[in-house]
Amino acid sequence: MGPREHYSELLVTWLVLVGLTLASLGLGQWFHGASWLPVLVAALVWIKSFLVARRFIEANLAHPYVARLVAIFIVIAPAALVLTAFFGPTIARWASL
Amino acid sequence: MPAHNPPLPVMPGFPGNKGIWAGITCEFVEFTVMFAIYFIARAHFPEAFQQGAERLSRVAGTVITLIMVTSSFLVAASVNALRNQRRSQAVLALSTALVVALGYPVAKALEFSWNLAHGIDGGAGIFFTVYYYLTFNHLVHASWGILGMIWVLIRLAKGAYSAEEHAGLEALGSYWHATDLVWLVIFPLFYVIN
Repeated sequence: MGPREHYSELLVTWLVLVGLTLASLGLGQWFHGASWLPVLVAALVWIKSFLVARRFIEANLAHPYVARLVAIFIVIAPAALVLTAFFGPTIARWASL
Repeated sequence: MPAHNPPLPVMPGFPGNKGIWAGITCEFVEFTVMFAIYFIARAHFPEAFQQGAERLSRVAGTVITLIMVTSSFLVAASVNALRNQRRSQAVLALSTALVVALGYPVAKALEFSWNLAHGIDGGAGIFFTVYYYLTFNHLVHASWGILGMIWVLIRLAKGAYSAEEHAGLEALGSYWHATDLVWLVIFPLFYVIN
């Protein structure tokens, strides 16, 4: 089987990444102070990271170590963002010396 | 008659080589620690982090994000072209990626000078201390990637890579995409959420 031609997939991925970046610009202004804003931002971060991991790195086609490393890394910050938004005082208490 | 053993499934490989993935693992661990610092500081000083993003240049953050995703796309397009035996397109895509990527240090320098003109230095508060710590570290990693891009572009143009053997180009792509992943987290943390 020869190499896969997937330029159009890469192009669509890039357009989606640009679109989501521009859309996220207005989030802070349109939904200023909304309690659920961190959840929406976390979801957008994960979607954009997933697209880069899947289409550009091709982590799903790579060695399991690469697939797991990337999958774990792209979920850490979105999860921490949601946890900090809803359990900030608890985290601050746990992280105090 | 000897028993017929079915062939073992072939384990998929590392994009590029194992060495670059050792480096990327270190990069991910390093930035995970820095993100932990960000979130712990945010949990302790929520008001400072809510107000901080308002003072940064959202235009600068957006321009850098567009530079990162566009150069990442062009590097992936270069790999795709070489795999399909289109060397000249691969060279063109990687050259364009380099030109776009060079916009990052320029944009960052302009952003930092804009910050200083508006009284935003490393001592302007906890939000800005963490902001400089994280974004400057990312700039250092991106600079290494740009140097790697120059090296790989020279080798690609001289015919060192082929459709069958292009681990160096894939290794560069993996590192640049990983650096892109880190920026995709940094952008909303400092420029979007308020």
